[in-house]
Parts: sequence; structure tokens; C-alpha cells
Amino acid sequence: MKGERRSPRRGQSVEFADFRNYSPGDDIRFIDWNTYARLEKLFLKLFLEEEDLHFYALIDGSLSMDFGTPTKFEYAKQLAAALSFIGLVRADRVRIETLGQAAHAPGPVLRGRRSLVRMQQYLSEMQPGELVSLADGVRNFCIRNSGRGILVLLTDLMDKQGYETALRYLVARQMDVYIIQILSAEELEPDIKGDLRLVDCEDNDAAEITVSAPLLARYKQTLNTFVAEAREFCHRRGMSYVLAKNEVPVDQLVASFLRKEGLVR
Amino acid sequence: MWPQWTNMLSPWQWAALAAVPPAIVALYFLKLRRQPLQVPSTYLWQKSIEDLHVNSLWQRLRQSLLLLLQLLLVALLMLALVNPSWQGTRLSGDRFVFLVDNSASMSATDVKDQGVPTRLDLAKRRVSELIGNMKSGDKAMLISFSDTGQVVQEYTTNPAELRRRLATIQPTQRTTSLTEALRLAAGLANAARSAASRPEEKPHDVPAGAATSSTTTPSGGLPATLVVLSDFRFPDVPDVPLGNLTPKFELIGKPEADNVAITMLATRRYEDRPEELQVVGRIENFSSQEKTLAVELLRDGRLDDTREIKIPAGGRQTVPFPSKVMESGVFSMHIKAPDDLAVDNEAWAVVNPPHRGRVLFVSPGDEPLRRALGTAKAHELADIRIEAPAFLTTKEYTAATEGGAFDLVIYDQCAPKTMPPANTLFIGRLPPDGRWQQGATLGDPKIIDTERTHPLTQLIEVGDFVIAEAKVVRPPPGGVSLFEAAEGSLFAIAPREGFEDAVLGFEIFATDAQGQRVANTNWPLRQSFPLFIHEMLGYLGSGAARLETDSLRPGQSLTWRAEGAAEAVQVVAPGDHKITLPPQENQTLQFSGTDAVGVYEIHQGQRPVRRFAVNLFSAAESDIRTQPEHSLRLGHSEVRPATHWESVRVAVWKPLLLLALAVLLLEWYIYNRRVYL
Repeated sequence: MKGERRSPRRGQSVEFADFRNYSPGDDIRFIDWNTYARLEKLFLKLFLEEEDLHFYALIDGSLSMDFGTPTKFEYAKQLAAALSFIGLVRADRVRIETLGQAAHAPGPVLRGRRSLVRMQQYLSEMQPGELVSLADGVRNFCIRNSGRGILVLLTDLMDKQGYETALRYLVARQMDVYIIQILSAEELEPDIKGDLRLVDCEDNDAAEITVSAPLLARYKQTLNTFVAEAREFCHRRGMSYVLAKNEVPVDQLVASFLRKEGLVR
Repeated sequence: MWPQWTNMLSPWQWAALAAVPPAIVALYFLKLRRQPLQVPSTYLWQKSIEDLHVNSLWQRLRQSLLLLLQLLLVALLMLALVNPSWQGTRLSGDRFVFLVDNSASMSATDVKDQGVPTRLDLAKRRVSELIGNMKSGDKAMLISFSDTGQVVQEYTTNPAELRRRLATIQPTQRTTSLTEALRLAAGLANAARSAASRPEEKPHDVPAGAATSSTTTPSGGLPATLVVLSDFRFPDVPDVPLGNLTPKFELIGKPEADNVAITMLATRRYEDRPEELQVVGRIENFSSQEKTLAVELLRDGRLDDTREIKIPAGGRQTVPFPSKVMESGVFSMHIKAPDDLAVDNEAWAVVNPPHRGRVLFVSPGDEPLRRALGTAKAHELADIRIEAPAFLTTKEYTAATEGGAFDLVIYDQCAPKTMPPANTLFIGRLPPDGRWQQGATLGDPKIIDTERTHPLTQLIEVGDFVIAEAKVVRPPPGGVSLFEAAEGSLFAIAPREGFEDAVLGFEIFATDAQGQRVANTNWPLRQSFPLFIHEMLGYLGSGAARLETDSLRPGQSLTWRAEGAAEAVQVVAPGDHKITLPPQENQTLQFSGTDAVGVYEIHQGQRPVRRFAVNLFSAAESDIRTQPEHSLRLGHSEVRPATHWESVRVAVWKPLLLLALAVLLLEWYIYNRRVYL
């Protein structure tokens, strides 16, 4: 079923998109014979794919998301609601889930403007505190939801096992993947001093620090490296990456950053 | 200045005190409580800590900054508790007058090993210490002295102001005289009874000249301590009106100071070869070792001659140089001796072009005088114009004398209507200004005495001639009798507004009752007569630009008469400082800015007219060896300057406590702002 959305993938439609070299196994119906007559080389004509859009918003519901003002989880819900609303208005198929969503109780499929109230209700019932790693959550999601579409993953990527495994699952899907890394102001610009024992809220791991200017500088450097690596990782694999700070209003983020990234037009 | 400790604590207390720092360290590590803080993830923090562990020692030190500061704080508090003290000087009383010698000898560098370049700097440091030892509310006055005293700061209770003014005391190249400074101190200190009630009074600098005039004899006044800091290279002070001042003397300098000085440099023309000059210098060795040194004679800045001389310890040596042909110029002499006083290692002697005087001789006809003035020697000294008395009434005479055309006018048996602006010699007449009085007329007077110290008559033998008739002359106040007969003066000289008038009470040739010209004395036949004429031309006729001397001491003032019409006169001092002197009505100029040694040049109307040299030439200043054993006579008492300064314990627990407070503040600041460290 084809929808309104114009996907960056190439597919079957009437609108020409591009040429590419023929390689064995390609569908010979798409060979441009006119070009072959002129150049004696085989080129494939590519057409824009138009599809009935499946929009998935996957929210990280781990404990670490329950920080900040507003909390990162809250922010993720707002962002998911905003994007889903766009999908609803455009009559796309919208589904919002968390990483720890139980297989027997998947998120509702929403379509059309009328589903807005249901979506709000569903989102307001959503609570953080899931004890599931990023990789497991993504894998579960992938198993449950195959097929094409758009996936927006709203997470802080703070997983001690690393985010790479999780994102690799997504690479294998034929989806347009958007990673929105949500970080709180406390993580970006920590305002702390003195001798502290930092306790991880998820695994109770402790780090003893004495705050000093070099330590803060080092932390910021580590953070910047982390973000840069994540961005690099995503871009290499054709995923879009956006860093969102929980203090930037959602509407502003949607209107500027996401538009730039091509998620929203 | 070493701290002296007082053991105020028992061993037990010492032990308790010693246990405090380890206790702090132990408590710091034992009681280090880290505040727990829940964060979303320690993932990034762990990574950061791992990175920082690479340079952990420095980090640990940085982290222990507060501990170190606490230890420092406790150390300071403990130190304050132990009550250390510095050696200082006891200052009794609440009023002080500091007299700082800044004469030439105080520029000696023999105190270099005490961390100061010169004696003056040591004296200033010492005064600064004494100011530091003053109690709050104490008043102090600051006076610097060389050959005169100068008030640097009047009584004040503000130590900062005193120190600021103290720093302004500059070394001079002058000689030393304590008397003037003591008079000034006594006058001001005792007159300060009224000033003491006005502490806000602004200090003012008393000019060097004016300061010496305040020689009021003090009486009463508030008692004050007078501290004199000097090398005491000056003669005894016979009469000191100290009033209520209690003097204390502190000797600056060392007995083994080492100095070689030029104490004389003079030039003389040979009598028979006037174009040639003899240059003679004298060098004295004021040290305890024999010295071999090189003497350089420079002529207009270029090396002319060198000598190597050997002077025994305490000895002196005259260094003659072979005759030099020179019209005018500057000789300077240097000695190459690394000694403790530099100002006397160089001396200057100027040779000014010989000046010919302009003399007007007005006479009805006096053959002996005319002949004496007509000799080649006389013409060498002066241009001599001879006129008859009728010339006195002409316009030419008036114009010439008023324009300053003559240095000396000789009125023989005649007198003008008004006194000319020139030196005069009246023969057988009195000056018309009425200041001179005529006495009795004497027949065959006998000259019984001549003034041997006056240049006019110092070489003249007068016992061998007779005078037929003479009149006694009485000079105005300030005059000097040069020929003295039993009845009074026959020849006298007196100053008049920068000029000098000499009056000879007898004529050489007289006109008798018949109108015949007859000899009044046989003096012209004697050897002393041409000598007298020569001396007269040299002394009275030597010209308007005549300087009293070509060599001065630093600080001496110089008086001379400007030549011709009043033009702006400029004196170029060493270092190319130009001082312009305003024109004076009687063309007598005074210059007192001779503070630096060197050659000064007088310019008149942009052209140099004369030079003079300022040299130290003072054995008292150059002999910088202090004499700690020698006592100084001051009035009727003998005092011995202190070489070792009395000391008193000055407790320093207050500044230590303040320092501890500062450390505490710093600690508090760092604790609050440590994020940025």
C-alpha cells in the first residue's frame, strides 16, 4: 500500500528520481533502453518510492531517562507526541512503544486525526522505570515490527554495554531510522562541587570524585567525544542523529532541527 | 635581624602542639565523607576519572589544597602562639627628629655588603626601620643635611607619608656641616609647640638658603629625640642650641672604607711665557693600602697625558704635567681607581681666555702715572684711554660710562658729577656720592700699616717713600683701609652696588699755590709703584665678566657682573641643564645652582662667555673612613656615635595572626570556588 510520504529509498512510482549502473540481478524492466541506444551502457532508471507510512516512536523508558527538568522521559513523550501528531494528520500509521514494551501488550496502532485523544491517553499512562537494556529493547521491537517505515528512537544512549549493538539491529531493517539523543542540562553542564559519591540510578554503581576544574573539563571532553562518536556511528549507517537538550522547547526542536534533518518537512 | 624565640610553653604543651598537624592529616583522610549524589549514569564519569588517573599525583596535590591550607593556617597560629620577635631599636619618647646626612661622602659604596648601594640608602633604610618601630601616635620629623639643612617632612604621625618623603631624599655632592642642620632641627622641633596642635598642616620644603636663617634659639618646647644618621665626617660643633632635643648618633659607614681622591687641580700661566700653562693636580690616598693608579689628563675631552703614580696609605702626591699651550679650554683629570666614592675621581680646571680690561684715565697731566700706565705689561692687561678732566663734561663720556664701556675709571685730581657704573680709583679727591668722608690734612704722614690680605696691596712695600701732604679718608660701612697712618686711613676701598671704589688720600702730582705742578710723593720712584699700578689694573680693571674664581665647591654660589648691556644670561650646567638668569639692573648676577660637579658654561646672548668648574676638593668629604673610636665634640659634651644599634624585641604575633586570617579567608574562598581550581 502506497502512501503520501516520499521516502529517500528508491522504489516504484511514476516520478523519476535517478539513474544507476546496472548490476546483474536487477530487474531488467527498469533498464533505460534509450540511454542504452545512445551510450551502449546499461543504466537502471530509479523512481521515487511512495509508501503508506508506518511511523514508529520508540521511547527509552529506563530509569536514567527519569532525570532533569523536565525529565528526559517526559521530553521524549512530548517529542513522540509531536511527531506522531504530524503522522496522524497525514494519515500515516502511527505506533508509540517503549523499549520494555511487553510482546503481549503492544502499543496501539493509531491512524487519523481522531486518534489524537487516544494517543494522549496512552502517552500519559506511560511510566519510566523499565529494567531493559537498550540492545534488548531494540531487538524486541525489531522482532515485533518488521517492514518499512520511519523509526524515531528517543533515548539518552547511556548504556554501559554500549549503544552500538542496539543500533546495528536497526541497520538491518528497511526503515528510515532517526536517533534522537536526549540529554539533560545536568549531564551537559554539570553544576556540582565538593567531594561527591556519584551513584548510578540504574545499577547503583558508584564513582567517587572530587570536583575540580580539570575533572569538569575532562568530563566535558568525554561527553563531546561520546556524542561525536554516536553521530558518526549513525551517519555511517545511514541513520539520522539529533542531539536534543531537555531545556530546548519541543516545538522549537521540531521546527528547526528535525526539519533540517529531513524528518519533518 | 634574626627572630628571637621565647619559650613560653612547657614540654607537654609543646607535645600537644606538635600533635596538631598529624591529627589534622589523620582526620582529613579518616573523615573524608563524600556526599552521595544520584546521577542518570556514571558511564561518562567513570571514563573521565580513568583519564585523570594518568597524572594522579598532581591531581591528588590539587585535591589536597584545602588540607595544605589548613596545615599552613595551624602552623601560623602555632607560630603566633610561640611569640617570636624581631630585633628592633627601642625608641623612647613620642617625638622624633631624624637627621639624614646626604652630603657627598654619603654616596660612598662601602656598605654594599649590607644590601644597599650607598651609605645614604643604608641611612634611609635605617630611618625606615625606626619609623616602623614608632608607636602609633608618635610624631616624627625628617631633615636632610649637607652643608645646609633641609626639612623634608615636618612633624607628622603618618608613617606612610614619612616613608614616602624619606624616599625623596637624594644624594648631593656637597660638604657637610652639622651645625646648620642642628639649628634647624632645634628651631623647628621647639617651635613646633603650636604646630603640634595643627597636625593637618601641609609640609613644605624650606629652600636650602632660607633654611639656614632660622637660627632661633629654642627654649622650652616639647622634648623630642633627635636621631642623627651620618658618617660624621665633619669637624666638631662648638655651639649647639639643642633645647629639649635628646640627641642620638648613629654611624653609617665603615672604618676600612677605601677612597682615592683628587683634592686639587689647578692651572697657572708662566710669568715669562704667558701662552703656556702649567697643570698641577694633587691626589690623596684615604685608605690603608698603598695604591698604584693611572692618572689621565684630558684636554677638552681628549686624552692628553697619562701618569702612573704610587701613593702610600694615607699619603698624598702632587702630579705636575708638562706645560701646555692653550688659549682657553677645559682640563679634566681622572683617576682610574675602583674605590668607594666616585665623585672625587674626576676634577676639572677651566682656562678662560684672558680678558683685557677697559680703563679710562682722566687726569690733568700726571707723568709718572701716565708712564706707569703706558708700559707693555699694562697694555697687556687693559686697553687704557687717557683723557683730560674736560672730557668728563662731554656727552661722549656720559654715553660711554652709562653703556658700561669701562671697567675702571681713574679720576686723578678730578671728580665726576655722578658715579659711573664701573670700578673707580680716585686720586686726591673724594667720590661725589657723599658716602665717603674726608678727615684732617696731614703733612708728611707715615704709613704704618698696609692691608696684607687685600689683593691690591698684598705685594706692596710702602715704608720707603714719603708723602708731602695727604688727607685722611673715611670709607663708608663695608670699606677696608689699605694704607693706615697713625691719624687714619690714607687709602681705602669700599663696595658700591657690585662695584668697588678705591680712594687714595694723597695726590701723586699736586698743583701748588702758584699753579706749579709739583711732586707730592716720591712713590713713583720706588719699585712698589708700578707693582701697585699692575695690581690695580689686574684687580679693579679686570673687567665686567670677571669671576671671583674659576673653581667652586658644590653648593657655593657665584657672583659676577654681566658684560655690557643687559642680555639674558644662561648657565649650562653639567648634563646640559640650562638655567636662565633674569637680567639684573646693576648687571650683578648670582648663580647658586652649583649642586653637581663638572664644568658650567655661562652664555650671554647665545654665545659662551666664560666657564667655571665645580669640584669637590674636600679632604673631609673624600676621607670616608669612619672613626668609630673617635668621639665628636658637640657643644660642651663629647658624644660617640653608635655603631651597633640598640635592639629591642618587637613582637610579631600580630602580623602572624593577620596572615593566618588571610589564609583562612583564602581557604574559604577556595572551598567555595574550588570548581575553578
